Amino acid sequence: MPSTSPALTPGLSSFLKSLKSNPIDTSIENLISLLKRRQICHSRSCATATAYLLRSVVSLCRTSESSKLIERVQSVGRRLMAAQPREMVVGNIVRRVLGLIRDEAEDDRDAEFALSESESQPQTPRAFDDASLPLDRDSLALGAERSTRPPLTSMFSLLSHPEPEASLPSTPGSQSPGGHYSGNNFTKDLRAEVLEGINEIIDELGQVDEQISNYALEHIHSNEIILTHTSSTTVQKFLLRAATKRKFTVVHAESYPNNHEVTHATVSGTRPDDDELLSFESFQKPLIAHGITVILIPDSAVFALMSRVNKVILGTHSVLANGGLVAAAGTRVIARAAKVHQTPVVVVSGVYKLSPVYPFDFDSLIEYGDASKVLPYEDGDLVEKIDVQNPLYDYVPAELVDLYITNLGGHAPSYLYRIVSDHYRKEDISF
Amino acid sequence: MGPKQKGGGSKSRGNATEEVEETLQAVVLADTFETRFEPFTLDKPRCLLPLANTPLIEYTLEFLANAGVEDVFLYAGAHSDQLEKYINASKWKASSSPFKQLTFLKSVSSSVGEVMRDLDSKHLITGDFLVVSGDVISNLPIEAALKKHRARREADKNAIMTMVLREAGRNHRTKSTSISPVFVIDPTKDRCLHYEEIDHNSEESHARLNIDAEILLTHAELDIRQDLIDCSIDICTPDVLGLWSDSFDYQSPRKHYLFGVLKDYELNGKTIHTHIIKDAYAGRVRNLKAYDSISKDIVSRWTYPLCPDTNLLPGHTYDLRKGSLYQEQGVFLARSCVIGRRTVIGRGTSIGDRTTVHSTTLGRNCKIGKNVKLEGAYIWDNVVVGDGSDIRGAIIADGVVIGKNCTIESGALLSYGVKIADGIKVESGKRISKSKRDGSAAPTDVEVVGEGGEGYEFIQGEDEDEDEDDISVASSGLVYRMPGLSLSSASISTLSSEMSEGSWGRSARSSFSDSAEQDNFNADATGSVLESLREGVSADVVQLELVSLRMTANASDTQVRRSIVTSFMQYIEELMAKGKGASQAIHQVFSQYSEVVDRTLFDRNKDEKKDQVDLLLQLQQDLVSREKGDTVLLFTAKELYELELVDEEAYEQWWNDERSSGSEEMKKVRSQAQQFVQWLADAEEEESSEEDDEDEDEDGDEEESDDE
Repeated sequence: MPSTSPALTPGLSSFLKSLKSNPIDTSIENLISLLKRRQICHSRSCATATAYLLRSVVSLCRTSESSKLIERVQSVGRRLMAAQPREMVVGNIVRRVLGLIRDEAEDDRDAEFALSESESQPQTPRAFDDASLPLDRDSLALGAERSTRPPLTSMFSLLSHPEPEASLPSTPGSQSPGGHYSGNNFTKDLRAEVLEGINEIIDELGQVDEQISNYALEHIHSNEIILTHTSSTTVQKFLLRAATKRKFTVVHAESYPNNHEVTHATVSGTRPDDDELLSFESFQKPLIAHGITVILIPDSAVFALMSRVNKVILGTHSVLANGGLVAAAGTRVIARAAKVHQTPVVVVSGVYKLSPVYPFDFDSLIEYGDASKVLPYEDGDLVEKIDVQNPLYDYVPAELVDLYITNLGGHAPSYLYRIVSDHYRKEDISF
Repeated sequence: MGPKQKGGGSKSRGNATEEVEETLQAVVLADTFETRFEPFTLDKPRCLLPLANTPLIEYTLEFLANAGVEDVFLYAGAHSDQLEKYINASKWKASSSPFKQLTFLKSVSSSVGEVMRDLDSKHLITGDFLVVSGDVISNLPIEAALKKHRARREADKNAIMTMVLREAGRNHRTKSTSISPVFVIDPTKDRCLHYEEIDHNSEESHARLNIDAEILLTHAELDIRQDLIDCSIDICTPDVLGLWSDSFDYQSPRKHYLFGVLKDYELNGKTIHTHIIKDAYAGRVRNLKAYDSISKDIVSRWTYPLCPDTNLLPGHTYDLRKGSLYQEQGVFLARSCVIGRRTVIGRGTSIGDRTTVHSTTLGRNCKIGKNVKLEGAYIWDNVVVGDGSDIRGAIIADGVVIGKNCTIESGALLSYGVKIADGIKVESGKRISKSKRDGSAAPTDVEVVGEGGEGYEFIQGEDEDEDEDDISVASSGLVYRMPGLSLSSASISTLSSEMSEGSWGRSARSSFSDSAEQDNFNADATGSVLESLREGVSADVVQLELVSLRMTANASDTQVRRSIVTSFMQYIEELMAKGKGASQAIHQVFSQYSEVVDRTLFDRNKDEKKDQVDLLLQLQQDLVSREKGDTVLLFTAKELYELELVDEEAYEQWWNDERSSGSEEMKKVRSQAQQFVQWLADAEEEESSEEDDEDEDEDGDEEESDDE
């Protein structure tokens, strides 16, 4: 939820506030410029802003056909993605919303079919992304599969209960599925259901850390030494949950120069209200308050300490379809060091960070930041003569990661493509 | 809560309260009244010049949007129509603009001071506001500075202004090399106590700083800092405007205003504070050297996120490649060309075989031939460069065509549409343009651009800053010199020499433009004196009235003289219209009120008759616009001499003063007075033969004044 403290400079909270009052085009432009100016820059802030914006877009889109709605969301999504191509979560959220619309449209059409052809077919509204109710979802999905799909051919897919998106391979996404039935109340239903779906996405964004931290006790054991990096709230929550039951040691690399101040604050518990996003974070006690030993180390000491570390837990910026990840600069070094010492590397990340993008060109995924963080600008002689680069992110290839923990549970990197296909429709992967 | 702060004099604060929630306003000085960017600024306003392919003003507005500013007042000077068109079409005017209000104000001002006074008279400012020039590039989050400023203001309402300064070491490419501002700061309170500009190239061998002994005595701790980049971002309270209005002769925000306000601390009790930043970027494209270094800063991402790949302008599609190479979509690169580091290439640009490009900014739709060498060049849009040419460290404006095998040396400036024929060498520091200062097309100088070329060598007005274009460090054997000029003093539309002298009261200049309207004192005083003249009130009464008016408005002697001149001449004109002869009318007025005039002249016993010369100049200036001005001037001069108000020396000084021959009108109006001056000179048996030579020397200035 947006914090209530009035922010002078534009940011997520001011954007969310203005969303209600401003016309939709203004809000879109507003978000684009906020993204460009990096005034909204964390993955989750971006995702939240996108989700809220798309909710307004959908609720204000007075169209009677799902294809129009899809078009509209696509066009907005394209602009948002162009504004900040390296914030992949924006694209992810857009794709999920598109998937939602398609699902709802197809559901409705299926329902119409079912009504007209045979009354016996079960009508199953698909709780598409409601990850918090895995059981419910599974049963629904099973039901849906039984009705619409040929028998499953592999053990793998049987276990994973994938969404039956493959059941309609011949339906082009752009075709208007609801065209014949575009009655007034149908449209309302479609939009209402899509909005509900988006609300669920927003809820998911709020709960994702909580859900991930539920798995903490399975992965962190007593007296372990855990190495982590950056000030990721997901990681912090994860460790905090474990700290309620177990005693362990955390070695925290400071992630100089882009994130060290926040990291220091996180470790010492004096975290300023930098996270405009979630107010409850300010109530959070640091790990040390739970009696956990936290050792803050410079990034350069990572390799030396790695031999003592039992597990590396990393946050991430986004996760790619091949199991690789784009994370704060320095992550790759840590992952590489862990590989050398055969230390398991665990990445905690919400599903919303999982992107269907396949990294052909790693360089293009990495954003270069403010050079003055590396070299002070005052140093005129050096500024003149030296090219300074400050990459904000690292690409970590999949083979350096042992386990992903998302809000859906733990997955091997090689399994991620499956979750990708669960969450995004093929038609939307490149729109 | 009522307004805690009183605006200076005439300001209406309305119901604006001092709450934090008040909207933040900003004033953008789009024209900084400088000639540093000539000849480019002859065709385009300076803030539309592209910096890394994005117009300068975009960076400034982006900075304001970042800072959460909601009301923006954009003051345009030269080429305001172009700027207005640009702004109206830009995203800042669209409904989605981050600014609630973007007001475009045209002004005829010729200095920052006049803009500020105009702003004051318009009563647009309701609370704290930012003043930035239209060429500021910064990624600074302003909150911290703003918070401090507000806290200070809450505590002490005399803390009227906070300057944002960027710390930079001893040598820095973004710092000015010739004139360094020196700030004397009380670090305990962040208060600026003294400001001075040190000119490294002045004739004096050692730069001097004159610090008031008072300052040294009253402050336990002092920082004297020369390592600060003044990025001209000021957080001001409305009082600042009041002070601008009170001090009519302030022109530039630093050299005059800051210096003056600090000096008069005893008088007005206002304090100015500094906010020194260490970790964000802030700079100002104040001259071509800064253009070069800030371009480099942008390309090297010191200004992040204001980098080309942020695509500030809609339609830009820059992408960052390895080695600070920014490339837009749709660039045609030959297979064998070499694109080096720190390069920006715009859409539609094609680069031929075996061409090498290093540290260069290329605009859109440029055609670069084969075997071309580009190094450290700034090439704007639609430029054609022929095969085998070599361009280093030059700025090439839109639409320039460069032939084959040309050499453009570092520091050369080719303005809009210039054509250079094959095989021509443009030497370092040359400025080639197609248009003249007054906007008309200039004849082509074949010597410079070759057969079939277009353009002539543009000579920078006066000695002002001709060497400032040493944009490449390699070529900085050239000395950067600018006698006596502050960072932002020279005005595009006024004589550049005027400013460099600095000794002259600025009132005559002010009357060049119609800033007279802005000046309450002038209007009041002129009106009241004229009224008295009509009623035939005695000289004592007139004098008394003037003194009281002058006290209330804190006006300078120059202003007083101007009001007297204006009102006297007005009355004389009226008398003449009634059928009186010029000499009669003049005699009547001046003999009756000689005391009034006398009281404004304080240089009776000095060699240099500044006040008297000023009076004569005022007269001359005033008579330019009146009927039979030349005759009246002659008789007035005579009358003043007879009444012993003005001495012979003053006449001579006036006549030789270049300002009195600054323009055609001025020369015309004084032509009749020549006989009188001649007679005086003859009477004293003195030489006065240089007049005519001097007139010819002043050609450059004339053109400038003609613009008005």
